[in-house]
This record gives sequence, C-alpha cells and structure tokens, in this order.
Amino acid sequence: MAMIGLGHYLVVSAILLVLGVFGIFLNRKNVIVILMSVELILLAVNLNLVAFSAALGDLVGQVFAMFVLTVAAAEAAIGLAIVVVYFRNRGSIEVEDVNLMKG
Amino acid sequence: MNGSLATPEIVLALCGMGILLFGVLRRGDGGLICSMLTIGALLLAAVLVAGGAFGLAFEGQFLVDPMSVFSKFLILAAAILGVVLSLDYNAREGIGRFEFPVLMLFATLGMMVMVSAGNMMSLYLGIELQSLSIYVLAAFARDDVRSAEAGLKYFVLGALASGLLLYGITLVYGFSGSMDFAAIRQALSDPTRVSEGLIVGVVFVIAGFAFKVAAVPFHMWTPDVYEGAPSPVTAFLGTAPKVAAMVLFLRVMVGPFGHVLMQWQALIEIVSVASMILGALAAIGQSNIKRLMAYSSIGHMGYVLIGLACGNAAGLRGALVYLVVYVFMFLGTFAVILAMRRRGQAVETIADLAGLGRNDPALAMAMAVFMFSMAGIPPLSGFFGKLYVFLAAVQSGLWTLAIIGVLTSVVGAFYYLRIVKVMYFDAAREAFDRRPASLSVVAAATGLFTTFFFIAPAPVLDAAQAAARVLFG
Amino acid sequence: MIMMIAFYIFAAILLGSAALVVSARNPVHSVLFLILAFFNAAGLFLLAGAEFLAMILVIVYVGAVAVLFLFVVMMLDVNFAQLREGFQRYAPIGATVGLVLFAELAMVLGGWRVAPGITALRAAPMPAGMQNTAALGDLLYTHNILLFQLAGLVLLVAMIGAIVLTHRDRRTSRRQVIARQMARSVAETLELVAAPLGAGVAPGEFRRPKPLEEAAAPHPVAPHQGEGH
Repeated sequence: MAMIGLGHYLVVSAILLVLGVFGIFLNRKNVIVILMSVELILLAVNLNLVAFSAALGDLVGQVFAMFVLTVAAAEAAIGLAIVVVYFRNRGSIEVEDVNLMKG
Repeated sequence: MNGSLATPEIVLALCGMGILLFGVLRRGDGGLICSMLTIGALLLAAVLVAGGAFGLAFEGQFLVDPMSVFSKFLILAAAILGVVLSLDYNAREGIGRFEFPVLMLFATLGMMVMVSAGNMMSLYLGIELQSLSIYVLAAFARDDVRSAEAGLKYFVLGALASGLLLYGITLVYGFSGSMDFAAIRQALSDPTRVSEGLIVGVVFVIAGFAFKVAAVPFHMWTPDVYEGAPSPVTAFLGTAPKVAAMVLFLRVMVGPFGHVLMQWQALIEIVSVASMILGALAAIGQSNIKRLMAYSSIGHMGYVLIGLACGNAAGLRGALVYLVVYVFMFLGTFAVILAMRRRGQAVETIADLAGLGRNDPALAMAMAVFMFSMAGIPPLSGFFGKLYVFLAAVQSGLWTLAIIGVLTSVVGAFYYLRIVKVMYFDAAREAFDRRPASLSVVAAATGLFTTFFFIAPAPVLDAAQAAARVLFG
Repeated sequence: MIMMIAFYIFAAILLGSAALVVSARNPVHSVLFLILAFFNAAGLFLLAGAEFLAMILVIVYVGAVAVLFLFVVMMLDVNFAQLREGFQRYAPIGATVGLVLFAELAMVLGGWRVAPGITALRAAPMPAGMQNTAALGDLLYTHNILLFQLAGLVLLVAMIGAIVLTHRDRRTSRRQVIARQMARSVAETLELVAAPLGAGVAPGEFRRPKPLEEAAAPHPVAPHQGEGH
C-alpha cells in the first residue's frame, strides 16, 4: 500500500460502481444480470472499505467489509429465491414484461 | 459494555427463534398459534422497551434515547396491528404458514436495531435484517404472479438502495475517519475537514434513504410493490419500515451530518416538494385502491421530509408527530381494504366501495374518517400532523415548502373525498362478506385514535418533543 | 515496482471482466466473468494488506455465491436472446447516467487528504506485529459482538426466506412414518389369496401403496403392499 496510492483504489472502485449502476440500467429485462450488477456495486463498496482501511491504518473498515460480504451473500440467496419463484409463476425472468400492473 | 440496554431486542430475537422452532417441530398448520405467540412477543418487547434505561451500549454501536424509545413504540404498535391484520387474510388465501409471523418479527427486530443505531455498521445490519425479511414477505404468496413480481421489484429496488447507501457510508468513513455517529459529528464540526468527498458520500447516503422511504426520484415500482404484495404485507411495509427508515434518516442527517446542514438542506427540500407533488397528482387517475395508497404514502413522506428540511427541533417534532398520525391512518385504511371481499374473493378497485355507506355504515364511517384525516380536515389527526410540520416550516422561513404543502393537500383532498363520495352516493353494489372481528378491532382502534387525537395530543407531542430535543442538545 | 505492476494487472482484469458481466450476451458468461472479477478483486485486497478478506472473497463469493448464480442460470430455462431486446434502447440512458456519476466521483477522488487529527478517531488502529487474520478475529468477537450476532440473524432470515419461497413439500413422496410402521398389524400387511391352480393371481389384485393422506386412515379390508420395509 505504501507504493500504491489510495487514489488508484478509489478510481477502480468508482469505475466498478459505475459499471454496476450502468448494468442495472442496461439490463432492465434480465433480472439475473441485475442481481450480478448489485454484486458488482457491493464489490466496489468492499474495495473502498479495504482501501480506506489500509490508508487510515484502521481495521474497522475491514471488519465492516466482512459484514458486507456476509450480508451480500444472504441477499444473493434471497434474490435468487425470489427470481426462482417469479420464474415458476411466469415462465420468464423479464421484469418489464409486466402488463399485470401498469407502472 | 452495557448490554442490558438491548434487552428488548435480545428477548425479541430469542422469542423469534423459539417461535420458529415451535412452528417447525409442530406438524401441521401452526400459522394462527405462531401469530398469537408473535403478538405476545411483540407486546413483551414493548413492555421491556418501556422499562428500559437510556444510554449507550456495545461501544456506542447501540443507543437508547427518547427518540429510539418513541420510534420503537410506534414500530411495535404497527407490527402488532400488522400481524392482527394478517390473521384472517392469510388463512383465507392459503398462505397461513408459520414463517409469516416469524419473518414479521425479525423485520421488526431489524427496525428496532435501526432506530437504536449509533454506528454506520449497526445501521446497515439493522436495515438489511429488516429488508431481507420484507422482501420475502412481499413474495410470500408464492403461487400468485403479482406477489412474486412485487417481491422481485421490491428486492431490486432495495438492493440498489442498500448499495448506494453503503457506497456513501464508505466515503463518509474514508473522509471522516470513523463509523461512529458521535465521532463523525465531532469530525465534521471543524469546517476545514469537510471535503468534497464527504459531501458526495452524504449525497449517496441521502439517495439510499430516499429509496428506503420511497421518496420521489426513487419511487419507481413502489406502486407495483404495494399493489402486488399480499394486502397485510402492504399494510406492514407501508408503515413500520417507513417509520424506521425515516427516523434513521432524521437521526443521521441531524446527528452526524448536522454540521453540514447547508450542504444537504436544499436536496431534502427538492425531494420533499417532488414527493408531495407526485403523491397528489399521480393518485388522481388510480382506480386500484392499494395503488392509490402507494401514491398517497409517497405524498405523506414528502410532508414528513418538510420537517427534516427545517433542520431544527420544531421540524423534527412535526415529522415525528406526522409519522405517528400516518401509521394509524394507513393501517386503518388497510383494515378497511382487507374487509373488501365479495363471496370470498378480495376486491380492490375504488368502484367496489360503492354503496358501502348503506351496506355497512360502521365500516364506511371508519373509512370516511381515514380519508378525511388523510386529506387533512380538522379536527382529525391528519390535520394536526400537517399543522405542526407546516408551522415548523413557516418558523424556519421555508415558505415555499409550506405553500406547496398546502396546495398539494388541497389537490390530494380531491381524491380522498372522491372515495367518500363513491361510498355514500354511488349506486350501491352487492354487500361485502361479513368482516372478521380482527379487522373490526383494528379499524375501530385506529379510527378512534384518528378521530379523538385532538382531545389529548399532549402525550404524543411531549414524547416527540423529548425525542427531538435529544438530537439538538 | 512489482506491486505496482500487479495492481495494474489486477485492476485492468477486474474492470474488464466487470464490463463483460454487464454486457455479455449469455448470462452464463456473465457469471463466469463475475467469478474472474472476484478473483482479481481478491488480488487487490491482498495488495492492500487484507489477506483474510481476500481469502474470504474467494471462498464465499466464488465458492458459494457465484456458483449459486451459475446454478440458477442453468436451472431456469430462459430464452436469453429475447432478454436482450431492450439493450440498445437503454444503452444511451445508462451510459449518460454512468458518465455523470463517474465524472462526479472523479472530481472527488482528488480531494482525499488525511485530515488533521483523523488518526485520533480510529476505533481500531492496526496492531503492530499481529497478523491480519488474528487482528480481525480479535475485533470481531469482542468489540463487534452485537454486529456479529446481527449478521447471524440476517443469515437465519435468508435461510428461512429461501426455504419458505422455494421449498415444496411433495405430497407424493413416500416419507417414512415410524409411528405408522410400528402400529401396523399382520392383518393389515398380509393378504392370503387362494390362487386357483394354473391361473395365478389376476394382475388387478395387486394393489399399489396408497398416498399418505388416504393411507393414514387405515382401511380394515384393503391391505397395503410395499410398505413393510
């Protein structure tokens, strides 16, 4: 870390966040890719936490990153369960394909 | 460590696991018994909250102050009424499984942790415990396409909101050096330490919270979720989580970010105005009553945010009083909506209410009270909610907000009064099925609160005042 | 120098594969690129001195979450070509949003400076001469016990949720009910048929075991076959 500046990490993480948000807009029909984009956002968050933790010399960032990882895994499990339920009912995973409820 | 401050939460968690075990080991349908046990556990938690002391625990990660106690009572009340509302519905719709009340209990636990959070980390874990439970509840009627879709949309929205909130939290951590609310506040008291990065972090945090309370730029899909989720779940997710998220929003903005008020005040004003306007205008064209309630709730959150935009104790008190009033009106309306059944089938369009005034005068009366109250007509509780918020706005010089608030209330009154007109003056339709006692109890309790709030508003006002004073020293 | 090179390699592969995750035509490829992204992120964690998190990322994310994704993508029989329809339509909006967001963040990134006195705020300064894993463990179970328990509850809720949403109790499956097995009498189990010489027993006289609910109410006449294990 002494050689690699914090700025480098923050840039990588910011690009990762942008890619995640971009992915959500881009794949509005494909829920599974939306879930993966959410994972990318959380990865960006973790990268930020680890980088700040190293730069500040403070372990709290890493502890929080661990909790974020845990929760993200739980979130992925629930998300995929809901996708499976949705697929069983509709036979597709398109979210926009919703003429049942007009939005 | 002073862990005994968290006794209500610990007891509730243990009760939740106990009920879960009971439900699993007991063969057959344990839905009703587990619901009753859950109500008991929530009541026990309320008693423990009432008997608890104030202070910090777990190295500042958990705090108990008048504000958290105030909101815990409100959350527990909403959760208990929510479970009562689900009793009859779940049995009829065939989703009366024991996991339902257990998930509601864990969601409530998450909310209690949220309002007691003294640290960004406990804030996040509380939010996630609450959200994950509610994602599942929204999709609970798993053989119903609409419910599954509601769950999916709620999940995608919630996950995105959490992601943005977290990114904001990391920036705040990096630029202020701490996760602890008090330490962040202290760090920001020195203006030289406020950097652009921190402000961007604050903006991300605001965006995350705005998602969680479904305020305007982040409201998309909210109406779909409200319409598609099973009605008792909608009643629950429209009240308790909103209270928790809003209280947390107030606490975070006024506490840790209190010294950078100038940076976020305008943002909150914009969100508030946009929510009020959308809530009033978009609701006009709705024919489904659950969808209408979704827009109505977006509008109500706009009014609560006026209180936050004031950024002072009066505004905060107004916001808290508004939340109390809102919770009871909303739950009461859903008690009526749940009673809308013809020959065993739930009906949800506004036109289905026609003739209710003749067929079931008591229910129509309750609905009329809620609608008048939401429209803000004195002397019902909704009027006082708006009154305190607008007064605070005027005192803080936020005239635009107050004027827009009054105007949107007038527009909103149009569609609330339309419902009353449909009930009493439209050609009568077939009567609804006999309503179950549980719904009558909820409708009566919330109706009485809404009607007679003006007689003795003092306890609520004093508690809100005490809660608001904590944050402003 | 070598760290710098490693950083650029990891970062480039991470961002490249992240871009492919959101733009790949086939979700299976998306998942595989997601795995690649996680591996490289773990590399970045290592460079920042967070060894334990790097390993956890590989084990939990690649080992569990990504495989879960893969499993679901394979399990759902989805027409993926159809899902791509909105892609071009939303690309400009998405790109605009992304660029604006990135521009804002880029403005900020230059602004990071260690504020005076910030080190005093550290809740858990990195202990000298202690391994990352040991230091984390020291914090996790003592100072962060509340969070640790809450994380446990979150996982419990995830478990309940996944089961309640997707588990179907199949009524047709033959579950062993020990109480019923014990309560059986010989008369219920055995049926003696006098088979006429040279004709055997007619096929219709063999009876299939009955489904659970029906069988639960014991019928004195109809014998259950195939249950005597």
